[in-house]
Amino acid sequence: MTSTRGATLEFRDVSKRYGGQLAVDQLSFKVPAGRICILVGPSGSGKTTSLKMVNRLIEPTAGSILIDGRDVLREEPTALRRRIGYVIQQVGLFPHQTIAENVGTVPRLLGWPKARIAARTEQLLALVGLEPSRFAGRYPAQLSGGERQRVGVARALAAEPPVMLMDEPFGAVDPIVRDRLQNEFLRIQRDQGTTVLFVTHDIDEAIKLGDRVAVMRGGKLVQYAPPGELLAHPVNAFVAEFVGSDRGLKRLALLTVGGMDLDTNVARAAVSPNAPILSPASTLREALIRMLASEAQVGVVLDGQRYLGLLTLSKIGKMIRSDA
Amino acid sequence: MTEGEPLIRWDWIASHLDEFAFRLGEHVELTVIAVSVGFIIAFGLSLLILRAPRTEAPITWVTGTLYTIPSLALFALLIPYTGLTVLTAEIGLVSYTLLILLRNIVRGIRGVPAEVREAAVGMGYSPREILWRIELPLALAVIIAGVRLATISTIGLVTVTSLIGQGGFGFLILIGIQRFFTTELIVGAVLSVALAIVADALLVLLQRRLTPWTRAT
Repeated sequence: MTSTRGATLEFRDVSKRYGGQLAVDQLSFKVPAGRICILVGPSGSGKTTSLKMVNRLIEPTAGSILIDGRDVLREEPTALRRRIGYVIQQVGLFPHQTIAENVGTVPRLLGWPKARIAARTEQLLALVGLEPSRFAGRYPAQLSGGERQRVGVARALAAEPPVMLMDEPFGAVDPIVRDRLQNEFLRIQRDQGTTVLFVTHDIDEAIKLGDRVAVMRGGKLVQYAPPGELLAHPVNAFVAEFVGSDRGLKRLALLTVGGMDLDTNVARAAVSPNAPILSPASTLREALIRMLASEAQVGVVLDGQRYLGLLTLSKIGKMIRSDA
Repeated sequence: MTEGEPLIRWDWIASHLDEFAFRLGEHVELTVIAVSVGFIIAFGLSLLILRAPRTEAPITWVTGTLYTIPSLALFALLIPYTGLTVLTAEIGLVSYTLLILLRNIVRGIRGVPAEVREAAVGMGYSPREILWRIELPLALAVIIAGVRLATISTIGLVTVTSLIGQGGFGFLILIGIQRFFTTELIVGAVLSVALAIVADALLVLLQRRLTPWTRAT
């Protein structure tokens, strides 16, 4: 569990012009080391263009992009790209290489010794949940979509990049697999401590995965905030509409029972036995669903065996109404 | 064919095995040189087309035109300059391989999926590494399909070069015609066809060996 490997990533007045059209307009934001920043917005908002300027697949017209304070435009593009992980929606595994060879791509380009590449490949396959002895020797055509995307993530992480770029990586898999891949991705990201810039058009994905969310529209940054704040305080009607009219409910998924003001005036014995038992770590969304499903309409919050108090519907309602 | 003589005289065949072996060597040599030189030229032209797509139309026009010239006429046109030599034969044979090889090399490389290329660029492959390590290996099946076609058609065409003093098995066919000797004519034709079949089978084996991933499902 380290978060020291990631680098800081900063956009400073970055613009991209195609002819007379500004695809990205004076974009500025900072991503702290080891955090996940999600670029989200409707199609044509400039999010993918912004992402591809980091590894110089697209060259900015103006401004600078800094990784740990160093401007990417001053670096040799191939050397730069070998230090940045890159995952795309279509994965782009090399069909003629085995899974192990695919994962070892960047270490091989960097000239790592064979034994080190083999060890790292095995470690990464295990990390993304693919049994090395079963998968290392297979070809991409022999894998399912979800398995291929896992290999794509492993390949991007191979040379321990301080920054990883992900362009709608889970957009092409079915919802159940997507949910699982998202959870795995969060676990892996916490484990590797890589700074991630992640593009999606799915606001739910942005809220679930992001430490920071950058909402873009027409090449401009409309709001840059942690997901909770985005839901609680959308800066304008566009963001409010984009995050959805159910933003109050979405926020509940980000808040935990432990962070709530509980009702402690009622003794535990006085509460209906039907009331669900909630732990401080469970989300308010989960708590709400269980409370509504029970006849009691309240939840008993227990920290282990210790009774902390009652969570009531009115407390949750107050939380939704409050803009805090 | 003289009256009363059998279509095939097996005794003549048995007594001329040395000559067949000699003609085989000649036939293989003419074919290998033609396909190899043709491949090198077509490869260079393909890279040019891929780098500068504007050159595709003129290059395709020239190689396509060469392909349409009747072989007999082409050899006749070359004789005043290069004589009854291997060079004359090869100029013609190489010319006929270009269109097929060129089209398959270009098609094979263009057939590499865009996302594979994007991933390669994004991970820091240089343009040269992308060509040699990604595009060419992935294009190999299509390229070898082109080499198979070029090889088969060249083996057939080599027999025509007997008219300019070369010819491999074509020499047997030519002499057979001139002497009304069906045995020699048939042997020349059958051996030429057999060579084409064997060469094609060897190239199929080569392709399978070089592209193991195409069979992985």
